[in-house]
Amino acid sequence: MKNGLLLLVLVAMSACSSMGVEPWERDILAKDEMQLTTDAAEAATDDHIYFSKEASSGGRAFGGGGCGCN
Amino acid sequence: MAVTKDKSISAALATASCALLGTGVTTAVDAQEVPKWDFNTSLLYYGEDESRVQDLSLRAIVRRLFVDDRSLTVSLTVDSLTGATPSGAIRQDVPQTFTRPSGNAAYVVPAGVLPLDDTFLDTRVALTGNWQQPIGETSQVNFGFSASNEYDYFHLGLNGRFSKDFNQRNTTLSAGISIAQDEFDPEGGAPIPFTSMLDIGDTSNRPQSQRDKDVLDVILGVTQVVSRKLVLQANYSYASESGYLNNPYKVLSIVDGTTGDTIQRVAPGPLSGPSHEFVFEGRPDDRAKHSLYTQAKYYMDGKVLDASYRYMTDDWDIDSHTLDVRYRWPLSDDKYLEPHLRWYSQSEANFYRLSLVDGAPLPAFASSDYRLGKFDAITAGLKFGWKNRNDNDMSLRIEWYQQMGSIPAGQLIGKQSLRDNYPDLNALIVQFSYRFSK
Repeated sequence: MKNGLLLLVLVAMSACSSMGVEPWERDILAKDEMQLTTDAAEAATDDHIYFSKEASSGGRAFGGGGCGCN
Repeated sequence: MAVTKDKSISAALATASCALLGTGVTTAVDAQEVPKWDFNTSLLYYGEDESRVQDLSLRAIVRRLFVDDRSLTVSLTVDSLTGATPSGAIRQDVPQTFTRPSGNAAYVVPAGVLPLDDTFLDTRVALTGNWQQPIGETSQVNFGFSASNEYDYFHLGLNGRFSKDFNQRNTTLSAGISIAQDEFDPEGGAPIPFTSMLDIGDTSNRPQSQRDKDVLDVILGVTQVVSRKLVLQANYSYASESGYLNNPYKVLSIVDGTTGDTIQRVAPGPLSGPSHEFVFEGRPDDRAKHSLYTQAKYYMDGKVLDASYRYMTDDWDIDSHTLDVRYRWPLSDDKYLEPHLRWYSQSEANFYRLSLVDGAPLPAFASSDYRLGKFDAITAGLKFGWKNRNDNDMSLRIEWYQQMGSIPAGQLIGKQSLRDNYPDLNALIVQFSYRFSK
């Protein structure tokens, strides 16, 4: 089980090493709209709304805390 | 490396020139260290129908950029909350009287109406701070704190995150930890679970006011650049909560095992206490959650698809799925539209109960909080973004959120099946954002 997991991680890592771009090919990836979190205020707002209204929270980043009781 | 060499060469040349001219080198250094500020501000209106929760929220995120990719981010949020929230009791064919959470007054809910407690009025102030800096050529570290204060709730948390790049920065692994200690000081005191809602002025079941909750979060993530146009992220996160996890304002109706109607009681006088039997909820004092979050961003000829999926499972037997898709569609160089769709589905907690049967043994835990029930939710929205004359980003988004719940089979007793016990929740979200740099 342990060896299998290690093998999986190694295969995944070696697969990752063949993916990607050269440093001079990052023109598109550097755009604002290609960042994983494009709008920090909107993301924090959504996280707090859904934290207060649903039984799940987080996943993307750490939450800001609060009661969320209402 | 080449950049560092160039910098040192230019610095050496600057020093040499300045020495020849007889001036200091401060100008050259200052030019390199021009500070930069990023401001991300937003005004949010969140409003639920049927006079339920209304929130007006102002948020400002300020980021100070320093040389060598170091940055300090501080955010301040002020929420102003009003409205009504379900008390947890069920509808009846007759009016129902409830004692307010303060224990000092009572209110009446008309026959056939979902009992809502309309007394809350709260202001939440939240502050976060975060320092980020590189370590060496390929690693980055991040430390932060979060604090928030409400009328009856105080949160204080610390967090840290480390990330390291591999494969020419195409792969990033990260690990983070966050700890928080929250203090709950409920209005009127924290009631003992499963004790009855009492008459006005009787606080004998609220012996302790302040209660604590500890939260530990761990997050492990991998980000992978797949091609010039595709980047993927996957996070595993674990959260452990322990301490006071009850909602001290939620009650359950005690009902007749045949009719499903709430048991009536006699209050000492009109509007002096509850007209029916209600008991305060009780939840376990710990909870462990596991989440897997994946996200993809794909660039298609100027348009960007942002899709994410999260699976969460916890030891309260709640499983949830969240699918979120945004599509950024440029209209011109400085304008875009972004439709947004989110679908969410959760199963109920193993102690979710619509009501409790009179005379039956009490369960170890029970809550009728709609957030612990089984429901699906949809968010549909549209954002319009544009740049103003000064090249600053502005955006306006309008979204509609709807929750559609259902009571688990076997929990409806007698006449309860004739009533809408889990009405849909509808909310309007309007947010205006303004971003600028200095």
